[in-house]
Amino acid sequence: MDDIARPRIDVQALTLAYGTAPVLKDLSLPIARGKVTVLAGPNGCGKSTLLRAIRRLLRPDSGQVLLDGLDIAGLNDRGLARQIGLLAQSPSAPEDMTVEELVRLGRYPHQSMLQPWSPQDAEALESAMAGTGVAHLRQRRIGSLSGGQLQRVWIAMVLAQETDVICLDEPVNHLDMAHQLECLDLVRRLNVEHGRTVVLVLHDLNLAARYADQLVFVKAGEIAASGAPETLMTRELIAEVFGVEAMIITDPVHQRPLCIPIKGMTEQG
Amino acid sequence: MTVNITLPRGTTLSTAMLTASAKPDAAPRLRLIYIGLLALLLAAMLASLTLGYRLYSLAEVWRALFAFDGSETAVVIANLRLPRAVIAPLVGGALGVAGVIVQTLSRNRIASPDTLGLNAGASLAVVVASAVFGVGSLVGLSLAAAFGALVTSLVVFAIAATAGGLSPLRIVLIGVTFAGLGHSIVEVILTTNEAQMQQLLFWLAGAFVDRPMVLALNGGPIILLGAAIALALARPLDALQADDSTATSLGVPLVWVRAASFISVSLLTGAAVSMAGPVGFVGLVVPHAARWLVGLRHGRQLPAAALIGAIYATVADVAARFVIYPVEAPVGAITAVVGGIVLLVLLKRRAA
Amino acid sequence: MSNSAGITAMRAPLGLIGLGAAAVLLILSGVAFGSSWIPLEQVAAVILGAGDKTQQLIVLQLRLPRVVIAVLAGGGMALAGFLLQKVTRNSLASPGVLGVVDGAALGVVIFLALLSDTANALVVSIAYQPLAAAIGAFAAIALVFLLAGRQASSAIRLLLFGIAVAAVAKAITMVLMLIGPIYRTTQAARWIAGAVNEINWGEIQITAIAMVPAILLVLLVARMLPPTDLDETSARGVGLNLPVFRILIFALAAALTAISVAFVGGVGFIGLMAPHLARLIIGRNVYAGLVASFLLGAIMLVGADLVVRVAFAPVEVPAGTVTAIIGAPYFLFLLMRKDRQNG
Repeated sequence: MDDIARPRIDVQALTLAYGTAPVLKDLSLPIARGKVTVLAGPNGCGKSTLLRAIRRLLRPDSGQVLLDGLDIAGLNDRGLARQIGLLAQSPSAPEDMTVEELVRLGRYPHQSMLQPWSPQDAEALESAMAGTGVAHLRQRRIGSLSGGQLQRVWIAMVLAQETDVICLDEPVNHLDMAHQLECLDLVRRLNVEHGRTVVLVLHDLNLAARYADQLVFVKAGEIAASGAPETLMTRELIAEVFGVEAMIITDPVHQRPLCIPIKGMTEQG
Repeated sequence: MTVNITLPRGTTLSTAMLTASAKPDAAPRLRLIYIGLLALLLAAMLASLTLGYRLYSLAEVWRALFAFDGSETAVVIANLRLPRAVIAPLVGGALGVAGVIVQTLSRNRIASPDTLGLNAGASLAVVVASAVFGVGSLVGLSLAAAFGALVTSLVVFAIAATAGGLSPLRIVLIGVTFAGLGHSIVEVILTTNEAQMQQLLFWLAGAFVDRPMVLALNGGPIILLGAAIALALARPLDALQADDSTATSLGVPLVWVRAASFISVSLLTGAAVSMAGPVGFVGLVVPHAARWLVGLRHGRQLPAAALIGAIYATVADVAARFVIYPVEAPVGAITAVVGGIVLLVLLKRRAA
Repeated sequence: MSNSAGITAMRAPLGLIGLGAAAVLLILSGVAFGSSWIPLEQVAAVILGAGDKTQQLIVLQLRLPRVVIAVLAGGGMALAGFLLQKVTRNSLASPGVLGVVDGAALGVVIFLALLSDTANALVVSIAYQPLAAAIGAFAAIALVFLLAGRQASSAIRLLLFGIAVAAVAKAITMVLMLIGPIYRTTQAARWIAGAVNEINWGEIQITAIAMVPAILLVLLVARMLPPTDLDETSARGVGLNLPVFRILIFALAAALTAISVAFVGGVGFIGLMAPHLARLIIGRNVYAGLVASFLLGAIMLVGADLVVRVAFAPVEVPAGTVTAIIGAPYFLFLLMRKDRQNG
């Protein structure tokens, strides 16, 4: 089997409901290896639910998620944590925890009974902190950090997990412009320099277009479209998925599609 | 059937919107409910007068109350049954109203005067007064109880003010630990003071039996005062059910309303404990029943809680005479068992 | 708090050494003090096999067992408290909140009520009382988990079920105590207050046999404790299924509490205070925290027992007095400061 061609993660016919309300409807999505895949869509479309299902935080009612062909439902918690890392939407930890203590937690799925802290753990810790530029903050309490610094620390924790796949659930919602860019540039670096497969839920469509290799539009629990940003960022598709009349131009700096919303459309059916 | 009001932050509502009735026939239905409750209360009080170790007929009750002839029957009814029949509803009503206020203030349906440890504080005060200061008179012990409840409520609300609010988990833990503390110190004093034990033990469980009428006459006015304050706060309390910002934007003076509520709760609980000892769980379950019956508006919830609490306490008092017949069980044990079971049911159904 | 790496690294080992020394000192004092004062050198001599007969009797049969049970019970409660606070992420949690202690109390009172004849003497040996306590404790835990069902994965729901069960247990206890005569009532009240009584080596053996596997389990789960600091999603992200783990920890804490209270009754606040003080002394390290908590719990109970023996002799004031009197203001102080953890 050609390893490059096979999707890293394969979502197959996933159906999931909260109680009686269906959230994901028979959804299938292959996620390419070594690429940055961004899930985008209007509020309540199910993009976060999809991410959570990919990371097995939620069990689907039917369908499966395959990781390199293996059904993730069969993996144990720590095994899965060694394969797929997750940055939660609103993570929290005690304010008096130090940066180093928090990043250390990323090593939890690797720690064996016999050797709670091995040289590999130490190495992963150092490289994670160095990679996110928080090494000089290691003894600081996380309660004393700024929003941008804190987000880098959380990413460092996920990095320390040394997973090939990283999921991030709306990682820049609460950050200011500078830190949004800093965070996403960091994520892209992880992808480019270390070849990690990244699955990202982003609220801002333009950021999504800028950073995605594979862009996915989710609408009402189904995949509306999936492909390169240039392919998806069209007036018609954006109108259909987001209910917004928009003009698409090419961002002169990054050579990526840029969406300029003109006006919201009234809902039809 | 409870309706939860969740208001988005910053929404401007007028109190008129909050207090408008949804159904046009709400008023007559409400009247029916109140009448029904009153009737039940009267029936319960009659039961309290007639049923017990000895059964008395209604005629004998009538004679004892209005045509006193000095017979043993009349004496028992007038001096033993009547105080109970009066104190029980007073205490039950007071605790019911206090429970509503506490649950609204803390925005938590599990909070109540006893889960906040007020009862434990009162018990502690009584035991200390008795064992350490040698207070023996019933009136003296009652005053000690009221004092203990007041001090505890001061402490708890002060803590809430300084520590930036009470989350549900925190309230539960505070109350449990307070209660445990009071309990253990009480036990300690009791182990070193055997003579006191029997008398104190019964009182500590909460009881309406063997209470002189003078207690009702002393405590009654205090309860009425506390209830009056509570009723006056009905509208502001409605607004307090939403978050603080919304309440303020509706013009509710938070600090004053909270202070007044706290005074009301202290008066009600203190008086109740001084009359009957720490009767548990009444303030916890009665508000749920009141909400289920008449809805969330405090203008209705408060009177309903008063009536339901009165009925509940009176019925429990009657039951206390029979569960371990011929010995009297402490009514506090009955309300704890019933209350505990009700709490379990509420938890199971996720209604609390 | 100093941020210097050197001091931080040394903090845990230094703290543990200090606590260990304090524990040893208190144990020796606990053996030396009593109705008669036995100098420390003679205590050491007795332990090493020498010393005169009376002293041997006093030390080995009376005082040492008492101190040992205080160490085990105090340590056990402290461990239970540490686990509960970690897993509920709340510094106010303590072993008393799960209804375990109230269930044990009910067990004791039922035992005393059922097995006394009309002359108010026990028809079986008082030695069975701890068994009754343990049965009551486990029955309460089982009932709480059974009733909670799926809701057991939520800390606050579980606590609420614990409160409801505890209330019912307390009420029935109260009624039973009222029906019975003073002898039983005093006995039960003393148990509820928590007291270290005369105990023999056979009973210590029983406690140790029950305690050792529990402590081993604690050491096993210790490495799973660090991610409990995180929110549930992130904990899942690093591979710890928090809701399931929480149930396991609650059960373990309840078991530790049941074993501890079986012989010494409901000694309050040790499970609440010890983990806090441990944190203050040695910092956040989980393993060090566990050991420090155990040591502190032991120190507290041995110390409390020592105080009541020395200060109130010959009246048998329960050690629970001291822990409650210290615990109360400490608890209030805890509530006053802004809780930096959640809720």
